[in-house]
Amino acid sequence: MSEIKLTESAPTEDNGEEKDWAAAKAFFDNLKTNKPRPPKPRYAVTIAVSSRTLFNMVKERKIYQDEGLEKYVAYQMEHESEPLMPGAAFPFVQALMNVNSRLRQLYPDSEELFDIVLMTNNHAQVGVRLINSINHYDLSIERFCMTGGESPIGYLKAYMTNLYLSKDSDKVTEAIEEGIAAATMFTADTDNELSKTQLRVAFDGDAVLFSDESEIIVKQHGLDTFFEHEKEFENKPLAQGPLKCFLEALGKLQRKFIAKNERLNCPIRTFLVTARSAASSGARVLKTLRSWGLEIDEALFLAGAPKGPLLEKIKPHIFFDDQMFHIEGAQQMGTISAHVPYGIGQKYHKGKLIEQPPKKE
Amino acid sequence: MVSTIQNTDVKQKEADRAVVVAVTSRAVFDCGADDGDEVCEVGVAFPLLQALQRVNERLLEENPTESLLFDVVLITSDSQQQQQSSRIISNTRHHGLEISRFCFSSEEDFTESLLKNNVHLFLTTDRDEAAQASQKGVFSALLNGKVASSEQLRVVFCGDAVIRTDAEPPSASQDAAQSFWAQLGEMRRRFGVLDSPLSLVLLTSRGGRESCGAALQTLRSRGVNMDEAYSLAGAPRIPILSLLRPHFLLINHLED
Repeated sequence: MSEIKLTESAPTEDNGEEKDWAAAKAFFDNLKTNKPRPPKPRYAVTIAVSSRTLFNMVKERKIYQDEGLEKYVAYQMEHESEPLMPGAAFPFVQALMNVNSRLRQLYPDSEELFDIVLMTNNHAQVGVRLINSINHYDLSIERFCMTGGESPIGYLKAYMTNLYLSKDSDKVTEAIEEGIAAATMFTADTDNELSKTQLRVAFDGDAVLFSDESEIIVKQHGLDTFFEHEKEFENKPLAQGPLKCFLEALGKLQRKFIAKNERLNCPIRTFLVTARSAASSGARVLKTLRSWGLEIDEALFLAGAPKGPLLEKIKPHIFFDDQMFHIEGAQQMGTISAHVPYGIGQKYHKGKLIEQPPKKE
Repeated sequence: MVSTIQNTDVKQKEADRAVVVAVTSRAVFDCGADDGDEVCEVGVAFPLLQALQRVNERLLEENPTESLLFDVVLITSDSQQQQQSSRIISNTRHHGLEISRFCFSSEEDFTESLLKNNVHLFLTTDRDEAAQASQKGVFSALLNGKVASSEQLRVVFCGDAVIRTDAEPPSASQDAAQSFWAQLGEMRRRFGVLDSPLSLVLLTSRGGRESCGAALQTLRSRGVNMDEAYSLAGAPRIPILSLLRPHFLLINHLED
């Protein structure tokens, strides 16, 4: 699942699959509204969002926790004509939709688009309110899974998911273990004005785009050893991290704009925001990206300075980091952040080893 | 020639309230050609029968006088299997299956035994048999070939054509489908959201979220509250179906 999907010159697929696809295509093409039809999953960049990341369901969540499932479902059904308020992933989803409309203008017949899927373990009766809310904001979400209690992780693969966003860190961890890029979303404390014309995605480097191999050195042997090691192995590419394939998918779509001379006007912009310093440990990172054939639009080396103020200037629709310390810092300054629960960083908080509770059975 | 044998080990259900489900014996028992009083292998429908039984048990737990129960009838039209009628009955006993009646007929008039027994749903692994039964107005479905769980009855409805336009008169088969669904919906309402012995799953392949949403609401207005909903909008259906593990699929058109 960490492989990116096929390019459009792939050989023919299963006949049953083709029938389903052709029927869906016909359905959407015959609609009187100008609703864009969803892309073919094997060519699309599929983003799966949970209901609580797409919409603000804090109040409803509390009812579930305090009064139980039956009362929660009843409440949702009673209020199903009231649209929910936007959640943390909402601006990100809108930005994806904008990229799609730009892609459709330049490549009207292409299936290489973002595909947004709602992936929730909510009950189908609660789903009616979710569908009504999606209708209210006219979001381009045509595919969904409402599993009525079962974990949606199995369905992530069946829907060919490239990135999964959820509020539930257990599900996110499970997804990453299955090889699917995933992150736990956090709302920002203030409202930053985000771009309506350009999708802006910021990534941390170690344990997000890259493996945590170097972070292990910092945690276990200290910064000096880390600098020496990175200089020595400058030309050896780092191993890939859980979000590398997502960056790759973004790069593939960016190249479609560049191919049509739209580089300056590209509606996707990527940022690397790393605690590494340009002078000592930064080179290895850039060389690794180059060896993977990936580009990043802006690489920002903080040399240990806090990420919050810089992110406030960048205003990304989403910022991925593996360390809660950075997530919290970003949040406090108004950046929508997503925690990637991967690697050695999970065992530490602000440089100190966290006491691990015994693993739940 | 059609004959029906009642299973005296099992309490007969109330005729006008029970949901009569007929299954071909070929799908329940895989009896070899050997003679002798051997125990047969269980067939693909075995977990289904266990799941139906569990639903009945839970319904009776909620209400010991419950009459809306599954009433399982075994249909044997295979001439070879008919010779082994005693094996079928003894195997039923051996495996503790709650089958209330055994129907024997020839291949030509098996639909007659379905109609005589007021069957609400006919399940088979044979596509032609299902089509034949459907033509006579009996709601039919294909059994899921892959063995499914026996813990929870999982029914998947492929709902692309739930909302029928009023211009089309309903066929006999569509009426049968609707009434089966109404019964299933009523059964489902006997249980809460959690820990139900049956789960109703809606799957739409073609339309988008609005079609699926409309189907959910239409079904709700008919008293059928779905537990799970999947909108594929053209995405491949096989990977999803293998995860859903239905005991059987109900679709409007048998060609799908």
